[in-house]
Amino acid sequence: MTTETAQRRASTAPLISARGVTVKFDVARTGKQMIALSNIDLDVMEGECVTVLGPSGCGKTTFMNVVAGLVKPTSGSVFIDGDEVSGPGPDRAVVFQDYALLPWRTVFDNVRFGLEMQKKLSDGDWRDRVQNAIDMVGLSGFESSYPRELSGGMQQRVGLARAFVAEPRILLMDEPLGAVDALTREVMRDEIGKLIAQTGKTVLFITHSIEEAILLGDRIVVFKSKPGEIKEIITTGIEGMGSERNAQNDERFHELREHLWSVLANEAAAASK
Amino acid sequence: MTISSATGIIHIDPDRRPIKTSNTTWRIRLTLVILAFLLIWQAAVAWFKLIPSNFLPAPTEVSVAFGELVVNPNFWSALAFSLGNMAVGLAMAIGVGVFVGIALGLSPALRITVAPFLWLLYSTPKVALAPIFILALGLGSASKIGLVFLLAVFPVLLNTMEGTLTVSPSLVNAARVYGASRFSVGWKIIAPATLPFSLVGIQRAVALGFTGEILGEFLGGAGGIGHMLEYAAYKFLMDEALAIVFVMVIVSNLSLGLISIVRRKLAPWDTDQKGM
Repeated sequence: MTTETAQRRASTAPLISARGVTVKFDVARTGKQMIALSNIDLDVMEGECVTVLGPSGCGKTTFMNVVAGLVKPTSGSVFIDGDEVSGPGPDRAVVFQDYALLPWRTVFDNVRFGLEMQKKLSDGDWRDRVQNAIDMVGLSGFESSYPRELSGGMQQRVGLARAFVAEPRILLMDEPLGAVDALTREVMRDEIGKLIAQTGKTVLFITHSIEEAILLGDRIVVFKSKPGEIKEIITTGIEGMGSERNAQNDERFHELREHLWSVLANEAAAASK
Repeated sequence: MTISSATGIIHIDPDRRPIKTSNTTWRIRLTLVILAFLLIWQAAVAWFKLIPSNFLPAPTEVSVAFGELVVNPNFWSALAFSLGNMAVGLAMAIGVGVFVGIALGLSPALRITVAPFLWLLYSTPKVALAPIFILALGLGSASKIGLVFLLAVFPVLLNTMEGTLTVSPSLVNAARVYGASRFSVGWKIIAPATLPFSLVGIQRAVALGFTGEILGEFLGGAGGIGHMLEYAAYKFLMDEALAIVFVMVIVSNLSLGLISIVRRKLAPWDTDQKGM
């Protein structure tokens, strides 16, 4: 990060602030309560990319849904710029693991969906904004294709464009590359890194890939399961985003990867006992 | 394709591609099969006299009867009677089926209270209820419309309910993230996601509704091509009877074809077309 953004961060309050977020679900079958998240405290600064890493079922997606306003916490609160979250809002957009594209809409109409729901289609320049977002994710020429005609990677590009075009302050990404094939996954990870760096968005990036967590995050939040709690928060301390990091900071990258592997392996062993 | 990741193995199934045969090849083959079938039939009845022709007339006799049928004004009024009843019964079945299907899909409370009765009625052989319809609604159009409705409403209703129930929660979440109202979620997500399911149900309803109409005409009254068929069989005019059966096949296929076109127009994204 540049010194300028570092100064801005130092002088401002966190953009996202989670305080004691606890989520319990009623399990109908057993009649018991399941604790998905227990007492999560986390601050995310403006312009920061925080990756959330953890095994399946550790509550990381639930945490993102709380920040998105889709799930109400049983206790605790999330504050965006000091205001308590009570539901979804135009300051946040979500990129979903399963893309969540509307199969009956073309790429162009999918990308404009957010603007349409936010009633921004009266803005004169919305067509240009949609087109710019499509160009930005590299889908020029596919405007009138339907999602089923696109590969998984391309479908997620549509998902990214739909999120970016709404111009949110915060991007919430829920394992956006989880359903994409391995090669595309690496290419898109680096592209997402570039997009985040270019646009300077504040990002909460949920993943179960250690590489993604290191290569995209300014900080890595490691979750543990049963109940979902924060196990560790690590500052990566590497400049740049995506594959740049891998090449330029070999030593730190490998150090982090080894550390995270052992943490997650212990977690997995504990969970399977 | 299989991908290993930190937390498990993901399987990605490749698209199942249908066997591709060009339309013309397919048509030529189909025509040949039908011609061979007609030839064997003709040979068995007219040339080798394996079957008495007053039980099963040869294709040539049936086609002569068909030619007489299409110039008979009584036939056309009978056809209009049948199709009219069918249209009214289907329209009611579609209206009620879609409305109740959506309501059941959206409301768990309704599903728990109403669904058992629906399943009970659905599992009843509805044909067994036909005499009750004739008794209650008389020998005219009303009893036929009632039977068409009874047979046609279930596929529409159940398919619509399934469509509403299987709307992907992440599509609803995607809409909520951008601040969609409940109305917008219903109109822009649930309705289009349910449409292909309802259309499949409607396609089934058309086939079943036609059965209901013919059945109703068999059981009573004096109108419609079902009645005409029954009368021809009663008079032992098997050539005319088979010609009417042939008309029914045409009507059934034309209406199914029409719905297929409607499905492609209204739901072009639904390429797997969910079978019949």
